[in-house]
Amino acid sequence: MQKSSWRPWALLAPSLTAVFLLLLVPLCFIVVYSFWLRAPTGADIAAFQLGNYKKFAADFFYPSILLRTIRVAFETVVLCLLMGYIPAYFFYRSKTRHKSVLLLLIMIPFWISFIIRTLSWINILGDTGLINHVLVRVGIISEPLNMLYNEGAVLMGLIQYLLPFMILNVYVSLEGIDKSLLEAARSLGCTEWQAFREVTLPLSLPGVSAGCLLVFVLTSGTYLPPMILGGPRNEMIANLIFKRVIGTLDWPFGSAISVVLLTLLIIIIYTYNRYLGINQIFKSLQ
Amino acid sequence: MKIDWNEKIDAAHECLHKGRLSRRSFVKFLTLAGASIGLVGGPFGRLTRSARAETKSIRFDGWGGTTSEAFRKYAFEPFTKATGIKVVDGEFGDMDTYLTRVKASFPPGGEFNLAHLSGVFDYARYVDLGYATQLDESKIPNLQNVMAAMTAPYRAITDGKLSAVPYDLGQTGIAYNTKHIPKEKADELGAGLLWDKELDKKLGSWGDWRTNIWYGALYTNQNPNDIEDMDAVWDALKAQQGMIKKYWGSGAELMSLLANEEIYATVAWSGRVAHLQEQGHPIGFLAPENCYSWQECIFVLKGTDLRAAEKLLNFMLEPSAAIAVAEGQKYPPSLDPTKVPMPESIQKLPAFDPTGKLEGYLFADPVYWNGHQLEWSEKWDRVKSGA
Amino acid sequence: MFRISGWSLIRLYTLLVYIFMFAPIVAVVILSFNPQQFGSFPMQGFSFQWYLKLVQNEAILSAFKNSLLLGSLTAVTVTAVAIPAAMAFVRYDFPGKNTLNTLLLTPIMIPEVVLGVALLLFIRWLQQPKSFLLLLMGHVVITLPYVLLVVQARLVGIKRVYEEAAMSLGANPLQTFKEITLPLLTPAVLAGMLFSFTISFDDVTATLFWATAQNQTVPVKIFGMLRNSISPEINALGTVMIVLTISTPLIAGYLIRKFARGGTIN
Repeated sequence: MQKSSWRPWALLAPSLTAVFLLLLVPLCFIVVYSFWLRAPTGADIAAFQLGNYKKFAADFFYPSILLRTIRVAFETVVLCLLMGYIPAYFFYRSKTRHKSVLLLLIMIPFWISFIIRTLSWINILGDTGLINHVLVRVGIISEPLNMLYNEGAVLMGLIQYLLPFMILNVYVSLEGIDKSLLEAARSLGCTEWQAFREVTLPLSLPGVSAGCLLVFVLTSGTYLPPMILGGPRNEMIANLIFKRVIGTLDWPFGSAISVVLLTLLIIIIYTYNRYLGINQIFKSLQ
Repeated sequence: MKIDWNEKIDAAHECLHKGRLSRRSFVKFLTLAGASIGLVGGPFGRLTRSARAETKSIRFDGWGGTTSEAFRKYAFEPFTKATGIKVVDGEFGDMDTYLTRVKASFPPGGEFNLAHLSGVFDYARYVDLGYATQLDESKIPNLQNVMAAMTAPYRAITDGKLSAVPYDLGQTGIAYNTKHIPKEKADELGAGLLWDKELDKKLGSWGDWRTNIWYGALYTNQNPNDIEDMDAVWDALKAQQGMIKKYWGSGAELMSLLANEEIYATVAWSGRVAHLQEQGHPIGFLAPENCYSWQECIFVLKGTDLRAAEKLLNFMLEPSAAIAVAEGQKYPPSLDPTKVPMPESIQKLPAFDPTGKLEGYLFADPVYWNGHQLEWSEKWDRVKSGA
Repeated sequence: MFRISGWSLIRLYTLLVYIFMFAPIVAVVILSFNPQQFGSFPMQGFSFQWYLKLVQNEAILSAFKNSLLLGSLTAVTVTAVAIPAAMAFVRYDFPGKNTLNTLLLTPIMIPEVVLGVALLLFIRWLQQPKSFLLLLMGHVVITLPYVLLVVQARLVGIKRVYEEAAMSLGANPLQTFKEITLPLLTPAVLAGMLFSFTISFDDVTATLFWATAQNQTVPVKIFGMLRNSISPEINALGTVMIVLTISTPLIAGYLIRKFARGGTIN
């Protein structure tokens, strides 16, 4: 780690300027708004009062949605990790010529708009969808299975959206591992599995960590999968914000919910960076 | 001006990398650049804007797809040919997103000119927020052909004047799958079809609070525009919630649910049902007594060049344009069928009224519904999620 | 024995993950040939009508061009901004590092609806009209965290030894970066560009707020179609894009190999 008084700042200047101007300053507006009042006509009245936050905490309704969001985000992270690590490892070890094409393939679902992709699950999981159609035809079931509009369907949509981020993050960090380390481990008599456990896995942790963080944060801000694939009980916090800000033009209350969500995420990420983050993992490796 | 500065910052940054510029002067430069952008944005921003306002164009925002294609072909192109004013047409995702953008735009209302708004309550919302204008009706001769019953609700809000012209009307009725629900049963049950125990988990509804409360009122035999026993409505909606498979959020979703037989009955927009029927799907449309009727208008926002807007509105109200748009979105136009002959394709549309008087059509009272918006929509969120 | 069975299990697993990822996509591709607009399986016939309509639909094609332009510019700009930032975080120690690292990740923590409105409020306060530059800068900020994370994760794995060796041989920091670090970073840079391009290309909510009428993108058009019905032309457009993205690298690879082989014969 170098110590230099000005270089890191020069390197950070462009990104900090952009984030400062286009994010932090606008964000101040949101914080200010969260203390305002909303008139019944829809106009906003400048004020300083905590009513919006009180409304959020008045009963268990809003906090329970927040808790549900965090639980779903956590589930998504675990599932993405389970489903994503092995393919990433496959790319890393595979000797196929078409590796780059395989990697590109994993991003291809993004060429089809998120809205369309999410809607498309109805054609697969629905009562007359592909799976039920085949199962009934084959005779395994007589009545179509109910697979849509529950948390499982929401998770499907979320994973389909977020898995590429996990895979690519893990892959990139696997690809950075010096293959000679593996050869050394093997020549010292390690089995393939031992070499993986002792060398590859720990060295891939920065990518795993980055992927998990990304998936977690993105899940907590997504509203389309719960909206399209979820049932009435699967709404998440972003749906609520969307409805307040856009639906009823209640910017003050919408802002207050956003501030709560943001604070929570910042606490989580800050702690994470501090105790489990990329730099921390890096240090533990040395 | 802003772009120049950006280039200069980049150049300075490059110098810094090459080591020709000290860090201190770089920071000084950045501060200067930031200040100048702020300055341009501040007092001088106004000047640059007014200089730009010279260009002759008018902005219209509406529904995408076939609707905007029809507008482009039958109203905008002839208008541009006749006046030389270009129509910049944008598309909004939905009503609420659009209002949010209008509210956050600069100059207030000036970025946007005309918009295809839905519902009288939306008209009232825009008026309340101060975006209304006063149209000179003598400059829009085609307004003569519009059903008087459709302009009346707008006049009631803006003291007899108009800030919009009515454009089309539709109904939120009940769609049902005729393979699974016989027509006699649907006709007999009316709004009660949406509470039919046999359709448990095969029912759908729109996520919108207004529509659900409206149908809750019909189910409990109340006047939707003056609900006396609100608790009864909430109880009915709570009872229904457990039977609903999906609260859909868009017309595309509604049609996919019905076409794929995910649900057998739901509240539905008449135009979408007509579209499905046209494609041969076995979907029936039921308009129960006091069915939720609504109308859409072309609203002119404050800050618009009214002369140009009035001319454009007249082009949009030309029967050829109005009929083409109606065929695209499957909602009958606001033109009075007793004054303007309508082709058969329009006469077949649900919600079409050959008398042009709209008797028996019940619209939402904007004052009543907008007054309860905040309270009811929040309560509805809870009911909908089963809390 | 272990190796063979273990490896084939990994391969099978990967295949299953791909099937999962592609299930909805395959449905979209198949339905783009469906003559009916609604309803899905079993399909009643086969037709190219949506492709024909797509070719004639100028509105969608121009939105597609906007999307491509915006996506590419975003990818280039954000990578140029993110690499130095990642270098600062991984290679240097300075006060407030952890806080700043968290700060640069905030764009993905704020729901886009809020970010969309907030930025509009800010430029209203500055009294600036919307512009393409604003849209681009907005996308750069939104995609910054993705690129930053992936580049940082890779940079952590690149040993300082290489850079130090170059420096000790007299290279200045810029040369070291260009000759040593950047080539080693390439996979992450490419992944980052791919991320930012796709995210920018697929973004709905924020773009809806920031785009002017002239630079609407495909997702914004689709959002606009939601009320009436999404035309299967969109499915056709997606199919065309998929075919292009899969075939381009394959054809390029084939041509390069062929060319190289021709070279050795001579």
